[in-house]
Amino acid sequence: MKVISSPELDIFRAGCRDWLADNVPRGPLPMEGQALREFDLAWQRRQYEGGWAGVAWPKDYGGRGLSVLEQLVWLQEYARAGAPQSRSMFVALSHAGPTLIVQGSEAHKQRHLPPILRGEENWCQGFSEPGAGSDLASLKCRAVIDGDSLVVTGTKIWTTYGHLADWQELLVRTDPDLPRHKGISWVICDMKSPGIDIRPIKTMSGIAHFAQVFYDEVRIPLTNVVGGLNNGWRVAMTTLGFERGTGTVAHQIELASTVDELIGIARTSGAIDDGAVASDLATLKAEVMALRSLTAMSVSRGMHEAVPGAEGNIVALYFGELTRRVHAAAIDLLGPAALERRGGHDWAMRYFESYKWAIGGGTSEIRRNTIGERVLGLPKGPVAR
Amino acid sequence: MIVDFQLSEEQQLIEDSISGLLAERLPVERLRETGSHFGAAEHRLLPAFAELGLFGLAVPEAQGGIGLGIAEEALAAKALGRHLASPSLLAQMVAPHLAEDNEERATLIAGASSAAFANRLAPTGVQLFDAGSATRIVLLDDGARLIATPASAESVDGLDEAVAMARGDDDYPAGSRNMIADRISLLFAAYLAGIAQATLEMAVAYAGTREQFGQPIGAFQAIKHQCADMAVRAAAAEAQVLQAAITFGAGGDDRAEAAAARLLATDAALANAKANIQIHGGMGFTAECDAHLFLKRAHLIAALGSSKRAEQARLLGSEAA
Repeated sequence: MKVISSPELDIFRAGCRDWLADNVPRGPLPMEGQALREFDLAWQRRQYEGGWAGVAWPKDYGGRGLSVLEQLVWLQEYARAGAPQSRSMFVALSHAGPTLIVQGSEAHKQRHLPPILRGEENWCQGFSEPGAGSDLASLKCRAVIDGDSLVVTGTKIWTTYGHLADWQELLVRTDPDLPRHKGISWVICDMKSPGIDIRPIKTMSGIAHFAQVFYDEVRIPLTNVVGGLNNGWRVAMTTLGFERGTGTVAHQIELASTVDELIGIARTSGAIDDGAVASDLATLKAEVMALRSLTAMSVSRGMHEAVPGAEGNIVALYFGELTRRVHAAAIDLLGPAALERRGGHDWAMRYFESYKWAIGGGTSEIRRNTIGERVLGLPKGPVAR
Repeated sequence: MIVDFQLSEEQQLIEDSISGLLAERLPVERLRETGSHFGAAEHRLLPAFAELGLFGLAVPEAQGGIGLGIAEEALAAKALGRHLASPSLLAQMVAPHLAEDNEERATLIAGASSAAFANRLAPTGVQLFDAGSATRIVLLDDGARLIATPASAESVDGLDEAVAMARGDDDYPAGSRNMIADRISLLFAAYLAGIAQATLEMAVAYAGTREQFGQPIGAFQAIKHQCADMAVRAAAAEAQVLQAAITFGAGGDDRAEAAAARLLATDAALANAKANIQIHGGMGFTAECDAHLFLKRAHLIAALGSSKRAEQARLLGSEAA
């Protein structure tokens, strides 16, 4: 246990800070549609040209080839500088890319990793289905082998930015006769393939981040299967592992500044003199600090273990529940002022959006099951067998 | 700041040796016998703990200590909490930092003189904890200082029956917050994180073996999810305690970090102790099950020194100057 510091890391941090100070886009971001996509890709390209894309990705595919330490320093400075969230680049940078690095063939990596870092392609995720949410392994989207192609028929839902993505990490059932975890494959799907129909879904915040995707005999080359046919569950668990570790560092730092913002509001309005308000805010402040510490601990573990374990669920559960409580506290603190919409990223929008973190990528309840069974070793329940 | 949580070889050695001695000589079951109450066993083991360097872990070598830091002290304090060791062992770890001179410090580090905690009460009086054999008292309010044992004190029955309590009427002026008080908050937090961890393990062990409706109760989500929440609370408390301890003195806001650690660890210890009793059902409500011991100790440590209100004010940066 020690504070890690070295002149090299200090220089690296200063470099991050200088570049971000000069390059972070200012002003309101486009919130929807092609404008959002174009913005995200352009921002990614700018980071690439500045030498800051893929800090911990291998050099052979356009990354910097540095360690998780530099990655964390970059993420800390990125959030501190108020740089934009990766949004429609998120799946490519935090799920699909890292999965291809670990599980992809040489051809997959050459084809996709450099264009991702250069901001030339973005990805979406095709895991959940209307009938397969928390019980993901029950997914039914079929893929039949026909010559050197898979022919995919079915539907996927909750596909964030599906209508704005070039590629998709898609889970399909390639063998319905195998046990349910065994007959699944992880494939790279071109979102411009004939037979794909994408319908945006409006969320409670009023924005259409999500889509439902329909596949009508969509042909995907067999060479797009990653990690081997019928091995997709294992590949997907690698992907989810990345999501459960440090994928939310930028969001966490933003959450911490939201709490500081609330403390500032309460101080200005005098609400902080109310003991109950002060107590609530102090608790939230302590919790965002603990969230930072939990993540630091998880990163530290990541330096000693190659693939993230189920412990990442602890960070994710804590983050999801805390995010909701912080934003609910904001609405409470603002009182009648919160009832009037101001447009853009106002408190109501932030509050509505906060609901997704305890649902997406695994609901809090599923995460509690996973912690109970895979971290604590408790027996499986009768339905989860 | 980037923090490495991996124990060094030396830190692992410290943890293993202290935990080893605690497991062998101070298992929690000892408290089922009243003869082991009031820190009696701990007092006898002072030389053994001194031998392991427990009381000089973070004292500079020039002052007769081992010269490590508060991170190592926090590791030790967490182990003490897991075993519900007498708070006087914590007092003995703290006292050398408050000693007037090297001579006094040396006797405390060697276990030749012994320390205990006392709360300064408002408007007057003190509350002493396991202080029967103590020669020096770590007096706690918002601050912390070392005083002589009060001239007279009357024993009272305590909420935690395993810890001896006494009341004295001596009048001491109010102390002010100092750096040692922040470190004490952090050590209390570490002790409480140990309670949160121990109660989690006890609940999980029981939920995995106790059968009802033909299966272990831990298979039911109503129990499993409580255990998961216990794990989250224990992990958050541990992470914040270690982060605060490792970075103490490295240029961050030590006072706020320690306050956050204390608030979270107090909540984790109390909530986990309660959940542990609930998961043990009828057994959990009995005196023969150890679950109640953890709850009572968590309440006691939570009420030592600085109040929750004061810790919260420090965290919001709105404490009175």
